[in-house]
Amino acid sequence: MEKFDKMAKLRGDSLGIYLHVPFCSTTCDFCAFYQEAPRRQGIVEYLDGIDRELSLIEAPEKKVDTCFWGGGTPGLLPAGDLDRLCKAVVSKFGQPQHEWTVEMAPSSVRKDKLQALKDNGVTRISMGVQSWDDGLLESLGRLHTSKLARKALDLVQEVGFESINLDLIFAIPGQTAEQWRSDLSKTLSLGIDHISTYCLTFEEDTALYVKLSEGKVSIDTEKETAFYRVSWEETERAGFEQYEISNYAKKGHECLHNLNTWRMDEWIGVGPSAASQSELKRYSNPADLKNWLGDLKEGRRGLASEPEVLDAGILFEDCLIFGLRMNEGVNLDTLKNRFGRDLPESVKDSMEQLEGEGKLVKEGGKLRLTGEGRLVADAIGTELLGRFSD
Amino acid sequence: METENKRNFSIIAHVDHGKTTLSDRLLEHTQTVDTRVLTSQHLDSMDLERERGITIKSHPVTMNYKCKSGTVVQLNLMDTPGHVDFSYEVSRSLAACEGAVLLIDAAQGVEAQTVANAALAVSQDLDIIPVINKIDLPSANLELCLKQLEDILAIPAEDAILASGKSGIGIEDILEAVVSRVSKPRWNDCEQTRVLIFDSVYDAYRGAIIYIRCFSGEIKPGDGILMMSDHTRAEVKEVGVFSPHMVKTKSLRAGDVGYLVCNIKNVSEIKIGDTITNAMKPATEMLPGYQEVRPMVFSGIYPVESSDYEKLKAGLGKLQLNDAAFSYQSESSIALGFGFRCGFLGLLHMEIIQERIRREYDVEIISTYPSVVYRVEKADRETIEVDNPINLPDPSHIERILEPTIRATIHIPNEYVGDILNLIMDKRGVCHNTETLDGSRLMLECVVPLNEILIDFNDRLKSITRGYGSMDYELGDYVEAKLVRMDIMVNGDSVDAFSCIVHTDKARARGKELCERLAEIIPSHLFKIAVQAAIGGNIIARANVSAMRKDVTAKCYGGDISRKRKLLEKQKEGKRKMKNIGNVSIPPDAFIKVLKSD
Ligand SMILES: Nc1nc2c(ncn2[C@@H]2O[C@H](COP(=O)(O)OP(=O)(O)OP(=O)(O)O)[C@@H](O)[C@H]2O)c(=O)[nH]1
Ligand code: SF4
Ligand SMILES: [Mg+2]
Repeated sequence: MEKFDKMAKLRGDSLGIYLHVPFCSTTCDFCAFYQEAPRRQGIVEYLDGIDRELSLIEAPEKKVDTCFWGGGTPGLLPAGDLDRLCKAVVSKFGQPQHEWTVEMAPSSVRKDKLQALKDNGVTRISMGVQSWDDGLLESLGRLHTSKLARKALDLVQEVGFESINLDLIFAIPGQTAEQWRSDLSKTLSLGIDHISTYCLTFEEDTALYVKLSEGKVSIDTEKETAFYRVSWEETERAGFEQYEISNYAKKGHECLHNLNTWRMDEWIGVGPSAASQSELKRYSNPADLKNWLGDLKEGRRGLASEPEVLDAGILFEDCLIFGLRMNEGVNLDTLKNRFGRDLPESVKDSMEQLEGEGKLVKEGGKLRLTGEGRLVADAIGTELLGRFSD
Repeated sequence: METENKRNFSIIAHVDHGKTTLSDRLLEHTQTVDTRVLTSQHLDSMDLERERGITIKSHPVTMNYKCKSGTVVQLNLMDTPGHVDFSYEVSRSLAACEGAVLLIDAAQGVEAQTVANAALAVSQDLDIIPVINKIDLPSANLELCLKQLEDILAIPAEDAILASGKSGIGIEDILEAVVSRVSKPRWNDCEQTRVLIFDSVYDAYRGAIIYIRCFSGEIKPGDGILMMSDHTRAEVKEVGVFSPHMVKTKSLRAGDVGYLVCNIKNVSEIKIGDTITNAMKPATEMLPGYQEVRPMVFSGIYPVESSDYEKLKAGLGKLQLNDAAFSYQSESSIALGFGFRCGFLGLLHMEIIQERIRREYDVEIISTYPSVVYRVEKADRETIEVDNPINLPDPSHIERILEPTIRATIHIPNEYVGDILNLIMDKRGVCHNTETLDGSRLMLECVVPLNEILIDFNDRLKSITRGYGSMDYELGDYVEAKLVRMDIMVNGDSVDAFSCIVHTDKARARGKELCERLAEIIPSHLFKIAVQAAIGGNIIARANVSAMRKDVTAKCYGGDISRKRKLLEKQKEGKRKMKNIGNVSIPPDAFIKVLKSD
């Protein structure tokens, strides 16, 4: 019994559902996510697969707090399919208690789809606008234009959701600071309540990475830093608060689903390539429609690789690595209580050094990064990696 | 083949004058290598040689040439390196020859190693065939070259053959000259077998492969042989020739060059320069060998991963079998752990060895700041040799320190004399003699501390003279100098591997330079890092590695924590390849990079 309590404590409180919809109409130049071309046959198989997968998942004892549909482009599915998917998820897990997000691409937003989502209880729409500059959009290989994005947003607002997020990308090759500032101020003035800003990354297996290795584009850290600071200024001016490296929201509109993953609570991933963290295991579904389906047809959820077994050490480490990416930081007392141990001495030393350099502040039992610290959050994460294993 | 129909010759020249390219043409003309498989600079067979476009080791090859008179002659050619660090390779090759083809780049004229290598050939009593090479170049100056030949080298201009290894001009003339002007194989009248060892390489399957020149008698598989220097006995397993790859033959006789494999287990027992004779019917007198080469520059080599120590040790052992001029001995460092103190002939030699360790033995290594060998006379009258700055005794125990010097011969166009004299002075050198070579060039003879030319002397000489200056040197005397140890501290920790011995007058400038250079090389970390130079606890210079400006990428949603962790792992992997001293990661090549002033 005692052991059971301890495990429950490690696992954290909230539960989320992540659903991956792997279809995209084209591949964006910067995208390293797994996606498939939207052929009808594939979509039908996918929907059947989701039904099968859901039936194989043991009903969790906790209530579901949040749901997040990402991709790919979930909004690419026709209204009828969206409706079917919503019903399947709700009948399995019940209505998400606090938040239900669906990602959409401006080019595939339609009123009937939005209505179907809303009718089923979706509370939040997240849309990848990336930029309002058509030249930059084209250089990213996006399908939409700024006009189309504007129209899509109008529709979303017309149907009406509790929260709307827009994604923007900065430090695009060729982008000037002015262009970035105007992308931000335009976005912030559109009556939305959440924005995510992503510094353009060059991940392997993307078209952009190829351009980078061919020397056609280059990475300019100074520019990235400057643009990042511009995001801080503009969002603050518009009454948004940064709550994570790349996320800003009006009070009460933070994305709960993501917050819960960064706090190392639990989530179940459904659909090809979806990642789960549940019952002290971390695993991913096969990142390929065929493989994913093949396993399901044989009556099991296949995995991309052996599940990683989580213990207090790993979870503590990740709570710090990912927790420090949030502006609220981490509460050491809470973590100590959850994991039944203190920070390793070497980590304490590193934290002290960061504090001495103005990258971190310690207030009461809380640790959080300063702006300077957030600029190097990956380096800090790297520093912490493997430091908690016993 | 009759001994009198054999010729042995080397191609010698200043670096880059076209030896290996000319060898290509000879291989082609004699159909030794099929044109379909002949690569350019064919004899530069090591990867490193091909990449850098320089010859590092001498390469022997046997060719058969049908001369104009109709006789087929066996020509044993040795392509030699031109770089000053490898001049011992040249002298070893010459010892196995009766003649030398001396190339002069028609656009560059006679340079320092032209003179030095010609002198080596003369001292070994070889017949010299002068060749003005690269005459296809528009900037070729034949008149000047011929004049220099007479004035500087005292070789009659009418002896010279005009050639181009690139365009294939003069190839037959050279081959005919080798046949008619190079003496027949010498010392073949000795009744006993005498075979000179001029090189050896290590082969993973067959063990030591000994490169030999047979002067008299015969050597064949099954023979019992005797190494004359220490009377080691062995049995011959295989002999063969280079064509240029190894080809087995029944035997090697007087006038032949080839290889020998025997049953000597401990390969370090093979001495380059030794004479092999037949154990049943031994010769009484050895062939003239050559002076053992002694390393002049020392540096520590350490594995980045301490678990690679044994692998490194094994690698060094094998490299030494291929390279008698390289030495090593175990040592340890506070900063770097267990490793080896290695001796080299010069900086290029050092770089090459390090590169070979990385590649051929797959060990990531760190090498420390190079040092020469100092002689320290202690207060108690004892004299010790110090090749590692860490071992320099406390100043209070030192009576005086002597440092090695070199005697350098520098060739330069007249107009640069002022700048070069300044350079020599800047390097604490003294110029003893200035001589006019021809109307336009000067030869300077000077003495410079070895320590000073290690760093960038040659680079600066080249840049001042726009590539027309050259230098040759030999070891000179030890002289007294005001020297101290300078320590380098990274983030407050003294890193013993960076310590060096410097002249007091130069300490401050050198310290500043080192700190700044190091600050550039150490990648930015999360925090600011101070690099300081200190002498006896006093800080004399300082530079900062600025803290990392930005290192964060977003994209962490969908709950894929593993993916993000993998990205972080990747970054960490990059750091793991570095040497971590305290909490500072230093790239393994930092210790070498600090030397280069670009
Ligand atoms: N124009 C011209 N260039 C040549 C000729 N021979 C060689 N070269 C060029 O000169 C450079 C050096 O040639 P190598 O044959 O490697 O010279 P080397 O004397 O063997 O050089 P080391 O072994 O490093 O001393 C190369 O770039 C060759 O292409 C020639 O006859 N004419
Ligand atoms: S960025 Fe989104 S829409 Fe573009 S290819 Fe990737 S998953 Fe599809
Ligand atoms: Mg060569």
